[in-house]
Amino acid sequence: MLVVENLRKTFEAQSGLVNAVDGVSFTVERGKLLTLLGPSGCGKTTTLRCIAGLERPHAGRISIDGRDVYNSEGNLFVPPNERGIGMVFQSYAIWPHMTVFENVAFPLRVAKGKHYGRAEIAAKVKTALEKVRLGGYEERASTQLSGGQQQRLALARGLVLEPSLLLLDEPLSNLDAKLREQMRFELKRLQLDLGITTLYVTHDQAEALALSDEILVMSGGKVMQRGNPTDIYRRPNSEFVADFIGSTNLLPGRVEGTIGADGKGVVRTDEGAIHCTFFQPIANGAAAQVSVRPEDIFITAPNAARSVSVLAAKVENRVFLGEVIDYIVRCGSRELRVRAKPEQDFAIGAGVALEFYADRCVGLRADDSRKAP
Amino acid sequence: MAYSDSVQGAPKGEGYGFGARLMRWLTPGNVILVVCALIAAWLVLVPLAALFYTAFAEDTPYGPGAFTLQNFVDALSSRYIGDLFLTSLIFAGGTAIVTFALGTAVAWVVERTDAPGREWFHGFALLSFAVPGLLTTMAWILIFSPNIGWLNGEFKAWFGLETAPINIYSMGGMIWALSSHYFPLAYLLMGPAFRVLDTRMEEAAVMSGANNYQVATRVTMPLLRPAILSTLLLLFIRGMESFEVPRLLGLPARIFVFTTEIQNATSNAPPQFGLAGAHGIILLLICVVGVYLYRRSTRNAEAFATITGKGYQPTTIRLGAWRWPVFIGMSLMFFAALGLPLFTLIWQSFFRNVTLPTLDWSVLSAMSWENYDIILHYPIFLNAVKNSVFLGAMAATIVVLFTFVMAWIAHRAAKQYGWILDVLTFVPIAIPSIIIGASILFAYLIIPINVYNTVWILLIAYVTMNLPYGMRFTSSGIVQIHKELEEVAQMSGAGLIDIFRRVLLPLLAPVLIAAWLYIFVLAVRELSASIFLSGPGTHVLGTITLTMWEEGGSFGAVCALGVIQIIPLIFIVMAMRWIEKRVGTRR
Repeated sequence: MLVVENLRKTFEAQSGLVNAVDGVSFTVERGKLLTLLGPSGCGKTTTLRCIAGLERPHAGRISIDGRDVYNSEGNLFVPPNERGIGMVFQSYAIWPHMTVFENVAFPLRVAKGKHYGRAEIAAKVKTALEKVRLGGYEERASTQLSGGQQQRLALARGLVLEPSLLLLDEPLSNLDAKLREQMRFELKRLQLDLGITTLYVTHDQAEALALSDEILVMSGGKVMQRGNPTDIYRRPNSEFVADFIGSTNLLPGRVEGTIGADGKGVVRTDEGAIHCTFFQPIANGAAAQVSVRPEDIFITAPNAARSVSVLAAKVENRVFLGEVIDYIVRCGSRELRVRAKPEQDFAIGAGVALEFYADRCVGLRADDSRKAP
Repeated sequence: MAYSDSVQGAPKGEGYGFGARLMRWLTPGNVILVVCALIAAWLVLVPLAALFYTAFAEDTPYGPGAFTLQNFVDALSSRYIGDLFLTSLIFAGGTAIVTFALGTAVAWVVERTDAPGREWFHGFALLSFAVPGLLTTMAWILIFSPNIGWLNGEFKAWFGLETAPINIYSMGGMIWALSSHYFPLAYLLMGPAFRVLDTRMEEAAVMSGANNYQVATRVTMPLLRPAILSTLLLLFIRGMESFEVPRLLGLPARIFVFTTEIQNATSNAPPQFGLAGAHGIILLLICVVGVYLYRRSTRNAEAFATITGKGYQPTTIRLGAWRWPVFIGMSLMFFAALGLPLFTLIWQSFFRNVTLPTLDWSVLSAMSWENYDIILHYPIFLNAVKNSVFLGAMAATIVVLFTFVMAWIAHRAAKQYGWILDVLTFVPIAIPSIIIGASILFAYLIIPINVYNTVWILLIAYVTMNLPYGMRFTSSGIVQIHKELEEVAQMSGAGLIDIFRRVLLPLLAPVLIAAWLYIFVLAVRELSASIFLSGPGTHVLGTITLTMWEEGGSFGAVCALGVIQIIPLIFIVMAMRWIEKRVGTRR
C-alpha cells in the first residue's frame, strides 16, 4: 500500500549538511498501522513530511496505492495537494476563522476536478463528524472546542475525503495524560473500524506499543529496528532500542562458552555470570551486554533464590507505587533498577538476591550497541 | 511545504546541469521573491544613490556636475555646524526623555493598574498620535506664543505679569510641542513590554523577601531594559527626523536643526542641492547609528521574552486609595497634551482673528461658520484633500499588498532569502522622511522618468517611507499564524490561491486592515517629504496647511482646516480600536 524506498533528505545546517533521513525503506500493508518511533531529531517527522509532500526528499521513491508520488529517478514529485492523503498535525491546525462544519468541509470545497453539491458536502461532513463522535457540533465555533474535541475535529477533516492513507504527526502530544490515554483507545477503534492504512509518528513509546501493528524505531535518520510491539519490547536488537523503549538495565561483559542453537548463552559480567538469549549471531568470547528490564529481575531474600543466575545486591532506595515497588539496588559497582510486586518488600539497606532468567534477559553485541543521540 | 523546499535547489551531487538547476530554482515562490526584491531595492536604493551622487557633485543649473567634496567642506566648515549638532542632539534627546516619561507613565497605568478610565486613555493616546504634528504645533503657538498665545494672556492677567511667562519659540517649547504629539509612540512601544511581563517573576521576588522598591529595581527594570533602551533610541531618531516643530517653532527663534537646514538649502535661490545632500548624509549617519543600536538592543529580546503561553494571566496592581488620584493625574496630562491643543483649534476655527477663549457673550455671539465656509469653497483646499486621500489610499493599498506578499515569501516560501526583503524594507526606518523627500526629488530630476511635479512622485515617496510599517504589521501577522494551518490546507487539496483566499486572507484581515488604516493616517498627514515633492496642482493637506499658516491670512481658516482633518481621524482611531479588540479576543 505505502512503499518507501531508500528515502534520503538532507538539510543544510550551519555545521554543514545533515542527513535528516538517511536511506529509510519500509512498506505498510493495507489497513495496518505503522508507527515511526524515535527521539526528537531522529528523522521520523521528516520522513512523514516527505510522504505528505510537504518536504521534498533528495533521493528515493515513495509510492501510495501503487502510484508513485515521488521518484528521484524520473524527477517525479506530486505536490501535497494532489496526493489525496489525510493528515493530522501536532498542533491540530484547526482554522480559527471557520466553524466546525467549515473546517471539515474545506477539503471538499477545494477539491480539484470534482464539484461537491451542497447536500453532498453536508452529508459527508456529517458522516465524518459522527465517525469521530462530534455529531451535532457542526455550527460551533472551532475555537470553542476543548483540546480533545479539536483533536477529533482535525481527524474528521483528515478523513472526510476518505483517503487511502492517513498520516498522524504526534497527534496526542498536546493532550493531558488522562485524555491521551482515552484518545489512544479512540484512535485504535477508529483505525480498526475504518481499516485505513495509517502512518503514525510519535516519540512516546507507550503510545507506539499500544497502537501499532508494527513499529519502526529510528535514530539519526536510520531505521534501527522494525517489528511488532512485542518483538520491539522483548527482543531489542541494540542498546539504543532496549534503552529507548521502556527502561532497561545494561550489564556489559563477555560471551562465555558457546551459544546454543536456541540462542541461549552466558555472559560473564563483572558482577557474575548471567544466562540470557541472543537473537543475533555473536562470536564466542566477544564483548557483549545483557539488557534486562526492571520488571524482569526478581528480587528475593538472599537464600531464597532458585535461578541459575543470581547476583547478590543491597537495597539503596525504594519507592512504593501501590501496585509495584521500585527499587534501586547496588550490585557490585553497578546500580540496577528493579520493579517488584508489593509482597517483595525489603527495607533500605537490606541484603537481597537478584534472580535472572535466560528468556527474560536479552544478549546484545557490544559493538552495535548505539547510544541514543 | 513543497514551495519552501524548492529554494534548496537541486539535490547535491545528482549531476544536474546548471540549466536544469536554474529551471528547478525558478519556482513561483522564487520568481516572486526576485521581483519583490527588485522593486523594494529600486524604491529604497535609488533615492539613496541619488542622495550620495548629489552630495558628492557640484551644483550646476543643469543638475549635478563634476565630483567634488566641496559640499561637505561647506557643511562642516560652517560656523554653525557645532551649534547645529548640539541643538539637534538636545532637541532629539530632550524629546526622547520627556516623551518616554509621559508615555511610560500612561503605559504603566493602562497596562498594569486598575485605575479607572484606562480604555479612554488608550483611545486618547491613539488619537493624539493620529493628529498631525503640524496642527498640534500650530495650536501650541496659539496657546503659548508670547504675543498671541491665549494662555499666556490669561497668565498675565491672573498673576499681573508684565511679560508672557512662557515662550513657545524656545528649545523647551519645541521639546514640549513635539513630546505632546509623540508620547503616544512611547506608550505604544512600552505598553506591550508591560503587558508581556510575567508578573510571576515579580511575585517570585516578593516571595523571596524583596520589597516593592527592590522588586522594581532588581527584577522589573532589568526585565524591561531592552524595551526601555529600544524605545528611547527610536524616540531619539524620531526627534532627529522631525520637521514640523523645528520649522514652525525653531525658525522664528533661530534654533536650527538638521531637518530645517536641509530644507533651507533646497529652497534657497539657486537651490543648493549639494549642500542639502551633504547635510542629509550627516543626518542619515546619525540615524543609521541610532537604528543600528536599536536593532542591537532588540536583537536579544527573545531572551527576555517572558510570555509563557499557557496559564499566563497578567495581574493588575491594585491602586486602592490611589485609584482616583492616578485617574486625575492622567486626565490632567491628557488634558494638557491633547485637550488644550484640540480645544484651541476648535475655538479659533470659529473666529476670523485671534480670539481669547472666554465665556463673554459679546465674543461668543460672534462665533460663525465663516471659516469653514471659506475652506470648503477654496478650490486649492479641495484639490489638496483629493490628492491626500487618493495618495493615502493608494499608498496604503500598495504597501499592504506588497508587504503582505513579501512577508509571506520571507517567512514561508523562501525563508533562506527572507532576510534580504527584511533588510530592504527596514532601511527606510533609518532614513528621515525629509531625506526620502529630498533624495526622491534628486533621483527623479536625474532619472528620465517623467514623474516630477505629478502625484506619482509623491506616491513613490509615501510607499517607500511606509514599507517598514507595512512589513512590521504583515510579518508579525504571518508569524502568528502557525505554519501547520497552511500545510493542512495543502494536505486537504488546496492550491496556493485557495490557501491565500480561504486561509491566510481571512485570518489576517484584521491585521491588514489595521496596517492599511495606520499607513493611510501617516500618508494623509505627511509633510516633510511632501514639501520637496508637491508642486502647483499637487498640493497635499500638509503642504497646504503649512502654506496657509506661514503666508498669514486667517488663523481661523487654518484652524478650520485642521478641525476638518481631525474629525475623520477620530473615526479612523475608533475603527482601529475596534479591530484591536476583535483581534485581541480571537487570539
